[in-house]
Amino acid sequence: MRRRRSLVPAAPGRIGAGAVLVLLVALAPLVYTDQYYLGIVVTTLILITLNSSWNFLLGMVGVWNFGQLAVYAAGGYAAGLIMIHSGVPGGVALLGGGLAAALLSIALAFPTLRLFGIYTSLLTFSFAQVIQFVIINDNTGITGGPFGLPEVRGLFGSLSPLDSMRAYYWTALAVAVATLVLTALTIRSSLGLALRALRDSLPYGAARGVSPLRYRVIAFALSGFVAGVAGGLYTSFNTSIGPGVMGLTPMSIYVTMIVIGGMGTLTGPVWGTALVVAIQQALINHPGIQLTVLGAILLVIVVFVPRGLVGEVATLARRLRAWIAEGDGDEEAEEPELVADRPAEVRTVPIEPARSPEAR
Amino acid sequence: MVRVETPAAALRGADRFRVAQAATLELRGVAKNFGGLRAVDGVSLTIEADEVLGIAGPNGAGKTTLFDVVTGLTKASEGDVVLDGSSIAGDSVHRRCQRGMARTFQQPTVAASLTVYENVALGCSFGQPRRHWAGVDDLKEFAEFVLELTGLADKAELVAGPLTVFDKKRLMLASAIATGPRVLLLDEPFGGLNPDEIDETLRLIRRVREFGVAIVCIEHVMRALVQLATRVAVMHHGAVFFEGAPQEMMQDERVISVYLGRSAAKPPARGGDGGAA
Amino acid sequence: MTDLVAILISTIVLGSIYGLVAIGMTLIYGILRVLDMSQGSMVMAGGFVGWGLLVSAGTSPLLALAAAFAIAFLLGVATQLVSVQPLLGRSGIDFEMITFITTFAVAMVIQNVALEIFGPRQRDVPPVIGGTVDVYRGVNISYQSILMAAVSIGLMLMLGIFLTRSRYGMAIRAVAQDISAARLMGVPIRWMFPLVMGLASALAGVAGVFLGAQLFASPNAGDLPLLEALIVVIFGGLGSLPGTIYAAYAIGLIQSTVSVLIATTWSLPILYAVILVVLVLRPHGLAGRPSEARL
Repeated sequence: MRRRRSLVPAAPGRIGAGAVLVLLVALAPLVYTDQYYLGIVVTTLILITLNSSWNFLLGMVGVWNFGQLAVYAAGGYAAGLIMIHSGVPGGVALLGGGLAAALLSIALAFPTLRLFGIYTSLLTFSFAQVIQFVIINDNTGITGGPFGLPEVRGLFGSLSPLDSMRAYYWTALAVAVATLVLTALTIRSSLGLALRALRDSLPYGAARGVSPLRYRVIAFALSGFVAGVAGGLYTSFNTSIGPGVMGLTPMSIYVTMIVIGGMGTLTGPVWGTALVVAIQQALINHPGIQLTVLGAILLVIVVFVPRGLVGEVATLARRLRAWIAEGDGDEEAEEPELVADRPAEVRTVPIEPARSPEAR
Repeated sequence: MVRVETPAAALRGADRFRVAQAATLELRGVAKNFGGLRAVDGVSLTIEADEVLGIAGPNGAGKTTLFDVVTGLTKASEGDVVLDGSSIAGDSVHRRCQRGMARTFQQPTVAASLTVYENVALGCSFGQPRRHWAGVDDLKEFAEFVLELTGLADKAELVAGPLTVFDKKRLMLASAIATGPRVLLLDEPFGGLNPDEIDETLRLIRRVREFGVAIVCIEHVMRALVQLATRVAVMHHGAVFFEGAPQEMMQDERVISVYLGRSAAKPPARGGDGGAA
Repeated sequence: MTDLVAILISTIVLGSIYGLVAIGMTLIYGILRVLDMSQGSMVMAGGFVGWGLLVSAGTSPLLALAAAFAIAFLLGVATQLVSVQPLLGRSGIDFEMITFITTFAVAMVIQNVALEIFGPRQRDVPPVIGGTVDVYRGVNISYQSILMAAVSIGLMLMLGIFLTRSRYGMAIRAVAQDISAARLMGVPIRWMFPLVMGLASALAGVAGVFLGAQLFASPNAGDLPLLEALIVVIFGGLGSLPGTIYAAYAIGLIQSTVSVLIATTWSLPILYAVILVVLVLRPHGLAGRPSEARL
């Protein structure tokens, strides 16, 4: 029997498969040089990083934060401004973007964590709206208002277009992989233990000594930092950023990516993002149809496959293993699967365990 | 299945659990208003270490609200909660836990997506002061002791969500013990259990008591309460109107009329619920 | 003084139209515990119905309003059937959050179907009635605005009478208060839910005709009204009908004041800032019940 599963690394088979996949993706630009599609992969990798950071809050910490795009944009703007106004290396600018985003995320965390349920989403959503409106109406010239930042020097200005593209590709891949690894490690650490306990039941976690505010603020900071780095990468890669990265339409697309892949699972955002980008590419000439299809898929997934694709596959695989092991399929999954791949589903945080004034 | 490898490890865990400094919990005129409703109405109680205080009373008497106020889940409207002579009324829930106060809930509440072991490890690493970032090995010894104590050692690897009610209740108690409490507040630990499970829980709570933990226990199952408690407080309309030995309670006229009913004045039969519903 | 009159008039007009959209959202939330993100697309649909009938078909304004009411009603019922009804009573989900997402998905579909059919171009919708009247030294108010306020207030009054006097209305309120008790009393629950959502959407559809004339009919014409209605319902405390109506006029007042004294572009950011402060100070809205959970 294996030892304490959650406190040791995940199954070696999965890590191996993941490593092979990453290696294949990493080698691709050496043989494949179509810059249009390489660019799409870079964008996808940046979105995977963003969506993983968002999924961490939505699914693993269980806070319905819809302000993540404002945090992402803050990182993008901060990194862009650092590149415009100083000569520091690009990597430092990315870190600066991450730090700025983390600070904004912490500022958002304090009011948000006072609220419960739907009010959490409303507050965070309003927050993102305010940030977007402020940027659009900014006429001081700092952010460039509705037009966004002027030409930002990217990370790899001196390279040839193809080499620059490859460099972005590997950078974005490294950041995305690092994000996934860090998420997996965090969720297995004692911080992850605390966060998951609070997600499952806030009063229970608090009554076992976990400070709901402290650890969830830390979670906001971590998530914000990653989102900010993703934003910085976006700005560098596109040599610009505008208020259009926020708002209803991008938010609905990214939420669709996370939900399709499986909210609260480690790899859900990866597959969800890749799938949605593929659908978008297939329907690129019909923006109306594209979003109609995405909306319909989102609806169908939420209603019929609430765990998302990764969550559903994990459940099926578990049933299959149990079926093979037991010879019949009704033995419902005694084998606990990889912790981070256990879908959070989308559960209520029971604020009060039936704690109406002594109604018992 | 994971077992405790050596008895010595479990013994070292037990040493760590033994309460070094016994605690005294004092409630001074604690009250809680919900709008116009006075759910808890000026309760004053003292719980010494090495004591099991039973709290009984009809539904709606304010027992669970009293626990919520004592553990900090709701803010007291009036009064003070004092642990070892210093007030903890201003402390948050987790701070009170770290100061040595743990509770269980009436509903079987555990972290459903964590395994049994992780639930216990949670209590170990966060419930004890200054141990938040302690190493995994350091925790393991104590966690395994707790699992062995509560009889959950062979279920350590299971996810807590699908467990039975009895296992969840034991796990809830286990994770409370894992925080190394000096005062343990149990909210209906026997509710919903069959007679055998009640007996096993009784044994478990007695063992916990031997380590010097002060215990406060809300219970409707009179048989268990009478066997377990050294002293009983009976609540009605938010106030304590009887305090004394369990045997006295069974004879007290007011307790019988408000709570037990006539038939229960005789010693209850095995598994009897004392007429309280 | 001119400013004051302008602010006052603008408050009444804006407040009434916000009330019309927000009252539907609050009704749906009060009864179904669904924050219906598709209400914006109902406004948009109403705008296109207004454009289609008034411009292309040249029908009478009354018919356009009635048609917007009917079409938005049907859309609302359909929305409820696909995005809320299948999730009712399902265990293990956070119903409020899930329906937040599913109604959002429906809004995405409706909005983009409109984009595919009508294209992104903004279309002028003529006022339901033309002409203006000078109220006070250069402060004009159009008949359209007067009609808009009158119809909105009239519809809200009718809704109030419907809810308090009619059998169906009382059944709806019974469901809002206690779903299982209402079921025991023989209220056909499963019929109530689509009806409520249809009714709320119909109000938004009517609002859409007026707003279309105020601005344009375009596929994303519903975004702004949705955001404004969200502000109103948060401000009023979700699910409280009187709270929503007060909040609608309060928000109208803030927005008019900012528009007249500062600049129109700042009215929405300032409103959202107000909302942030309200939520931080009163986590359940102004009229909502205070929270007990302190951790």
